[in-house]
Amino acid sequence: MLYRTAGQFKTSYAEDHALFPVRQDAMLLGVILLFAFVILPLTASAFTFQALLIPVLIYALAALGLNILTGYAGQLSLGTGAFMGVGAYACYKLITIFPELNIFLAIALSGFFSAGTGVLFGLPSLRIKGFYLAIATLAAQFFLVWLFQKWGWLYNYSSSGAIQVPNIEMFGVTVTGPRASDLVQYYFVLVVVCLVTWLAINITRGRIGRMWKAVRDMDIAAELVGINLMRAKLTAFFVSSYIVGVSGALFVFMWRGAAEANLFDISLSFRVLFIAIIGGLGSILGNYLGAFLIVALPVVIGAVPAAFGIPISSSTVEHLNVMTIGALIIAFLILEPHGLARLWAIIREKLVLWPFPH
Amino acid sequence: MKTMLKAALLATIAAGLAAPAVAQDALQLPNMSYRTGPFAATGTPHMNGQLDYMTMLNERDGGINGVPVAFEECETGYNTEKGVECYEKTKSEGALVTQPWSTGITLQVLPQTNVDEITVYAPGYGFSAMQDGKVFQWAFNPPTSYWDGASMIVNALGDGNPDNLNGQKIAFLHLDHPYGKEPIPLLEQLAEKHGFTLLPIPVGLTEMQNQSAQWLQIRRERPDFVVMWGWGAMNAGAVTEAAKTRYPMDQFVSVWWGAHEPDLRLIGEEGQGFRALSWNFPRSDSQVMQDVKEYVVDAGKSQIDQDSGEFDSMAYQRGVLMSVILAEAVRVAQEHADTPDISREDLRWGFENLNLDEARLEEIGVEGMMAPFSTSCANHTGNASAWMVEWDGEKFVKVSDLLPADRETIDALVEEQAAAYAEANAPWPTNEECDQ
Repeated sequence: MLYRTAGQFKTSYAEDHALFPVRQDAMLLGVILLFAFVILPLTASAFTFQALLIPVLIYALAALGLNILTGYAGQLSLGTGAFMGVGAYACYKLITIFPELNIFLAIALSGFFSAGTGVLFGLPSLRIKGFYLAIATLAAQFFLVWLFQKWGWLYNYSSSGAIQVPNIEMFGVTVTGPRASDLVQYYFVLVVVCLVTWLAINITRGRIGRMWKAVRDMDIAAELVGINLMRAKLTAFFVSSYIVGVSGALFVFMWRGAAEANLFDISLSFRVLFIAIIGGLGSILGNYLGAFLIVALPVVIGAVPAAFGIPISSSTVEHLNVMTIGALIIAFLILEPHGLARLWAIIREKLVLWPFPH
Repeated sequence: MKTMLKAALLATIAAGLAAPAVAQDALQLPNMSYRTGPFAATGTPHMNGQLDYMTMLNERDGGINGVPVAFEECETGYNTEKGVECYEKTKSEGALVTQPWSTGITLQVLPQTNVDEITVYAPGYGFSAMQDGKVFQWAFNPPTSYWDGASMIVNALGDGNPDNLNGQKIAFLHLDHPYGKEPIPLLEQLAEKHGFTLLPIPVGLTEMQNQSAQWLQIRRERPDFVVMWGWGAMNAGAVTEAAKTRYPMDQFVSVWWGAHEPDLRLIGEEGQGFRALSWNFPRSDSQVMQDVKEYVVDAGKSQIDQDSGEFDSMAYQRGVLMSVILAEAVRVAQEHADTPDISREDLRWGFENLNLDEARLEEIGVEGMMAPFSTSCANHTGNASAWMVEWDGEKFVKVSDLLPADRETIDALVEEQAAAYAEANAPWPTNEECDQ
């Protein structure tokens, strides 16, 4: 009833190719954007911004980057954390070498460093695939984190080996560093995430995206129909690492405020991979759903016992949390192995047909 | 069923979004604990000690000057990401202080606390340059800093005169983490000054339990001393590896976190001669420990493992002392503000005017457990001296008097690093009103 598509006739090719051919989809997105841009910022507390909204957006962006590589182009990667690190350290060096550089520009540029590194470590993908490629990207993960620790120039030889985000102004407003307000940082991240998501949707449904999907589904067949495998795989590594690098720069500059090399270790890569897999490989929406489940839900669940006045210690809450999230992940994967995005697709399909079963 | 599920879901979301209510009738002194994760073994006894002292105050005196203490724990698992979350959560609950409990989390929240005007209390850890009260107005690391510790160890190794180390080689086995790297700049300066060779040997977070590569290097290099800056599973790994490779224990010295009985019990007799610098020494017959025993442990309100002798351990009693200092700061603040209901600014004043001299330590009932110290507007550390303790096969014994630190070198480095920090984080307000 709510999702009735009857009566929505397309009268031109442009309309048929629109981003959201179904009116209800566009309306739903409008409501979500209204929430994200207006209602949440008006109501959220500092804790909500810092522990829920900003991290969910940043992790979703990182997962989006990984999803382009793994979900769309079929190249398994375990080096996401390190590529995020490349973006973060590149942004830090750009900001400290050129202090007058606009931070928005610096974050956009830092993605290119990560993209270059990604292409470099993507070269083995031309010869190997599947689990073997995963091992090659794992090498990138360990090598890069080692480099972040050992190469003092990257962190300006600070004695702690950590990088600290300075206060940076953009058009007279402090956007990074301790003096930046949560609201400003939230809007900054939101705008970047929306922009990149819009780009990603258009790339993945266009010529390049179809090329990637063809390679993913069967690379020999793709080569036979005239797709240049090298170009397809390397563009996937380039675009994916670019987005991952941008998310890494946001991760440190808009949220953490400081970082040391260990932050970008393998557990971060796995976390992003889990988000992408649970959200749904080969989907854009899935990254957001996955990020909500993996990043935000533990925080929300952690607040439940206190809200009901149940007196249990915070370490017990933490143990319970790990168990609950683990159980939820298993439950969701049994319920729908293709991820949360597929679950939503099924719900939507049912809604379109409702009240008829077929 | 459905409505119940819905109600539960709504409540969950509401609980997550709504800012927790601010309690007015208690002193909000939250702690960031890590009773889970790879560092839980060393974290838990410290957190038990901190918590039990505050519980004892609540039970015995009804709090501090009549106001009960809410010593809520927020679990981080030593994870900096969780640390930020905990910081934001406790801030919204009206916390008077933040106790980050990790050098990584300290570095993370330090700039933020300066803007939010919340005191960072990092007893015996954190960033050593926090000593400079003019730059770090809101950060305190009493009773002593890592640089003080490193200097005291060097003094002890040279038998009171570090110049005796001339021509010798000291291996610095450390956790490859901001915490482990913290003393390196000072040790480098001391090496240059006194003519010894410093050999930093990092231990990655993933290799803590298997340090064969590091100890192979130590065997090859044959250093005169090994100084350890480890934490959690790393210390246990290092002492077992040292015993295995038959490294002479009397050449092996650790910072205070290495004075941890469960780690040494793994090797027992073989660990004889292992030394550690400690700013505290356990004394279970002191007034405070007896009160903790009476009001908390015997009353069943403590989480400690009594069978393993945790009550008498270095770590547990160190935790108690950490809370003693915090409670003293609160008391000083209450007297200064002339009200038991203090603000964040009052507590900062309290920390700046701590005066735990011999008389006061005795009054509290912790005499002999730690060295006296006092803080000031310009000095936020207090620079208490520490003892060398030695493992005799069963327990730690005191083997030195209070050790001196090289104030001149440390203070110069503090000033330099604090200025560099302020510059990197500009605009950073400094307090020029402090006189030395």
